[in-house]
Amino acid sequence: MKPHVTRRGLLGLGVGAGGAVLLGACGDDGPNPIVGGGQNAQPASTAYTGPNVALTFWNGFTGGDGPVMKALVDRFNSENPNIKVTMNVYEWADYYQKVPAAVSTGNGPDLGIMHVEQVATNAARGVVLPLDDVAASLQLKEEDFSPPVWRAGVYNSKRYAIPLDVHPQGMFYNKAVLERAGLDPENPPKTNDDYLKALDALKGKGVQGHWATPFPFTGTHQFESLTWQFGGQLFDDQATKPLFAEGPGVQALTWLVDLVKNGYSPKNVAQDADLIALQNGKAAFNWNGIWTINTLRAVKGLNWGVTALPTIGTQPAAWAGSHNFVQFKQRATDQNKLQAGKVFINFISKQSVEWAKGGQVPARKEIREGAEFKGLKEQAAIGAQIDNLHFPPSVPGIPDAMVTIDTAVNEAILLRKEPGKALADAAAKASQILEQNRKKYGG
Amino acid sequence: MVAVKAAPGRGAGLTPYLFLAPYALLFVTFTLVPAGYGLWISLHDWDYLLPGKPFVGLDNYRALFSSSSPVFDFFWQSMQATGIFTVFSVPLLVVVPLGIALILNRSFRGRTAFRAVYFAPYVLGVAVIGVLWRFLLDPNLGAVNALLGAVGLPDATAWTTGLPWAWISLVGVTVWWTLGFNAVIYLAGLQDIPRELYDAARVDGAGRWAEFRQVTLPGLRPVLLFVVINTILASSNMFGQAYLITQGAPGVETRTAIMYIAEEGLRSYRMGSAAAMSYLLTLALLLISMITFRLFRTKD
Amino acid sequence: MGRVRGIAWYTMLGGLSLVFVAPVVWMLITSFKTADEATRVPPTIVPRDPTVGAYETLFGGDSQTPVLRWFLNSMLAASGQALLVLAVASMAAYALARMDFRGKRIVFALIVATMFVPIFTLIIPNFLIIDRLGWLDSLWALIVPGAASAFGVFFLRQFFLGLPRELEEAAVLEGANSWQIFTKVILPLSKPALATLAVISFLTNWNDFIWPVYVLFSPENFTLPPGLGTLQGAYNINYPVIMAGATLASIPVLILFVISQRYIIEGVSRSGLKG
Repeated sequence: MKPHVTRRGLLGLGVGAGGAVLLGACGDDGPNPIVGGGQNAQPASTAYTGPNVALTFWNGFTGGDGPVMKALVDRFNSENPNIKVTMNVYEWADYYQKVPAAVSTGNGPDLGIMHVEQVATNAARGVVLPLDDVAASLQLKEEDFSPPVWRAGVYNSKRYAIPLDVHPQGMFYNKAVLERAGLDPENPPKTNDDYLKALDALKGKGVQGHWATPFPFTGTHQFESLTWQFGGQLFDDQATKPLFAEGPGVQALTWLVDLVKNGYSPKNVAQDADLIALQNGKAAFNWNGIWTINTLRAVKGLNWGVTALPTIGTQPAAWAGSHNFVQFKQRATDQNKLQAGKVFINFISKQSVEWAKGGQVPARKEIREGAEFKGLKEQAAIGAQIDNLHFPPSVPGIPDAMVTIDTAVNEAILLRKEPGKALADAAAKASQILEQNRKKYGG
Repeated sequence: MVAVKAAPGRGAGLTPYLFLAPYALLFVTFTLVPAGYGLWISLHDWDYLLPGKPFVGLDNYRALFSSSSPVFDFFWQSMQATGIFTVFSVPLLVVVPLGIALILNRSFRGRTAFRAVYFAPYVLGVAVIGVLWRFLLDPNLGAVNALLGAVGLPDATAWTTGLPWAWISLVGVTVWWTLGFNAVIYLAGLQDIPRELYDAARVDGAGRWAEFRQVTLPGLRPVLLFVVINTILASSNMFGQAYLITQGAPGVETRTAIMYIAEEGLRSYRMGSAAAMSYLLTLALLLISMITFRLFRTKD
Repeated sequence: MGRVRGIAWYTMLGGLSLVFVAPVVWMLITSFKTADEATRVPPTIVPRDPTVGAYETLFGGDSQTPVLRWFLNSMLAASGQALLVLAVASMAAYALARMDFRGKRIVFALIVATMFVPIFTLIIPNFLIIDRLGWLDSLWALIVPGAASAFGVFFLRQFFLGLPRELEEAAVLEGANSWQIFTKVILPLSKPALATLAVISFLTNWNDFIWPVYVLFSPENFTLPPGLGTLQGAYNINYPVIMAGATLASIPVLILFVISQRYIIEGVSRSGLKG
């Protein structure tokens, strides 16, 4: 879920920034500081028969998703009397500060959830343990998930994360506003031509249809979606160099800036104003994360819908984040706890249709394609994009390089720099940061 | 006031050290040692979770002065932002609260209520005032622009996303938020000035202004020095307001030094580099404050 | 005061007050709105559909959010730290303001110099020290380290410097020792400064949301800022919940401030200081 903007900001953590096409594993050279994990080689199975164990499970499910996960944990506890899982919820931004600090002093939890772009960094810093044996013993394979999601959890040829869900960007729309402009509220635009026509029609009625926000949530996500739609990438697969300032990136950012220049968006859109405008009937469209389903459901009397992003470029594509299970490093390895943890991961993963009801798309294919998930109208509409999602290269420190994109998007949409110049400046910075990270993490 | 020499018995032998001891224990453990540790960190490529913390000498400092390093532009940009904010906010935060304190120090009915009113914003944490003002200052949807529009003024000012508006917002919000803080310090200081000095001044036929110059200001001098130094510190450590209200926008124009240091150290885990930046900032502030101390002294 | 001047006086103060109090009132009003009314444009001034829903969310039956417990923890941590600061800082400040001893200038310079080191630099080192002391996930971690701040010492020293020395002189002549002078003369004279420092220390601790994130793990040990964060986190534009949390966190402190005002005003006891 979206961490709260303010506190996320304060702690200087940009959780959930999207990313480029993935990666096989990163090079195998360089020291790997991980200790402790590899030894957990005892074959895992789907059952735990050892003595009673207590596990702690930390995550950032502070919103409507929290109670859903709590219910799943309770069910697990009642079905597995010899395992007691206690769940602690923190705000995501707090969580990402707290977990490494706790692990470093031996106070870390046994299990946790991590956004996919955080996995490599935490693997390289020795916070999380390799989970290859979990995948092997649970017989989890790429085909069971969506390949990009599955591959994104690998760093240095080792798997560190088991995907739980994906949360892609979708297009939310205000049906009443579309109707007012004489547009079909049940058939929102799917192509660039239709989209621009719709914006023109809205403009004719005095509505600025798509508020282009210069802030990461979700301006940067929109930029990333569009870059992939125009056939580009943010970085090369090994994250050796930024590619977001090349043709497709410039096209993508220019498209967003033109929304402002052509009067389809007001100038100076502030954080969250785009979504508030949608709720207030001041905008018709808002490209936002799947978590927005919960936000809009809470608004009384709002007639809204959600669907896949329109294809503005040459191919469909959308930004997405993904929640993944991880196991944390402990001072002393306890095989029983590791084993029990695997049983837990498998259990929740199999129940992920329940999880989807909280506003997510299950990572597991059999569940995503099951009738029950298809019955969740909004989630399924966004989930239909599963084959068109992209994640950042699984390289430690990649979020550091991605914040440069936030700056470029901000400068361009606020009309302070031409898109090409803003992106080129950001790419120059990103190159330096990538190089710095290679040195630091020995990638 | 007549300077009195320290009387015998005060300050003799162990006594001063005994008075200092409890604080010293805390100070050494939780400030001096960590600060020294910070210095040591700044000489390393340091991440508390990575086993290798290579010694890099002064490289982290050198990078701050080398235009080809990844941190050079961002760091100096952020120092400039901090400088702008400090230069505009400190004078306001030193002078305006003094005026308010003088008003609130007079006796009139309801003054306790007024004191509470001016102090009220400071009771709210930065997380709250940040969200509150971002909401109120929203260029397109905010109450401030709506209000301005209603009285016929421009209603599309980019309070949070444009320049110089973002600075005006940040300085304005900070003055609004922390004015009460300095005002209560002044108020406490004003209570320290013996009534008799005012009476004496009045007997001498001094007017209000002369009274202020000859009694209030000299009596407040130590407190004034404290307020000036502390306000310079608070302003140069500004971080929450900018992150919440402008998020550093436009671009990184309003990203302050502390914001950048926090990003570098706590998000990118380059703590050596962040520590070096911290100490460079510390040095700059020390210089400024030493000048301030001097100014206060030469006025003697 | 003349009648006209009186009216002008209150008009000016009242007008200025409006600027200060309006956003706070806005916070209060918003906390009683529904989520969608809170973001309505143009905004409503009086809630059309007043609700305590936001407060129900805060105090709701969800066992994961023991708000009252957080409130209590915050109270304990903030008052504990305020008391500790008053005790240690006043003693140190007295020595620095009124005593002569070797190394005094250096000690004072060192203490003040550390105020200039940005707090972020100290977070990780302090975290490691707290771990060594075994204070992680406890209130000690919230109470003690913050009391090492140079702020209180510098603040009180400046006040003590401004105190007239006559009463101390008299006490010395009567044979009082340093401790007696400190407790019987200096501290009573300094009530306004001490009350102010108490309020400031309390508030700084009360609103801190960065340090607790590192040192607290168990939800039942949280203070209000990180605790409310877990409630507000996902309600990204649910302003009523954010504002209800803010109201909860700020009203008690405001009351505390009004009470402490009494001591600040009492002041140096317009007492019989001989001129």
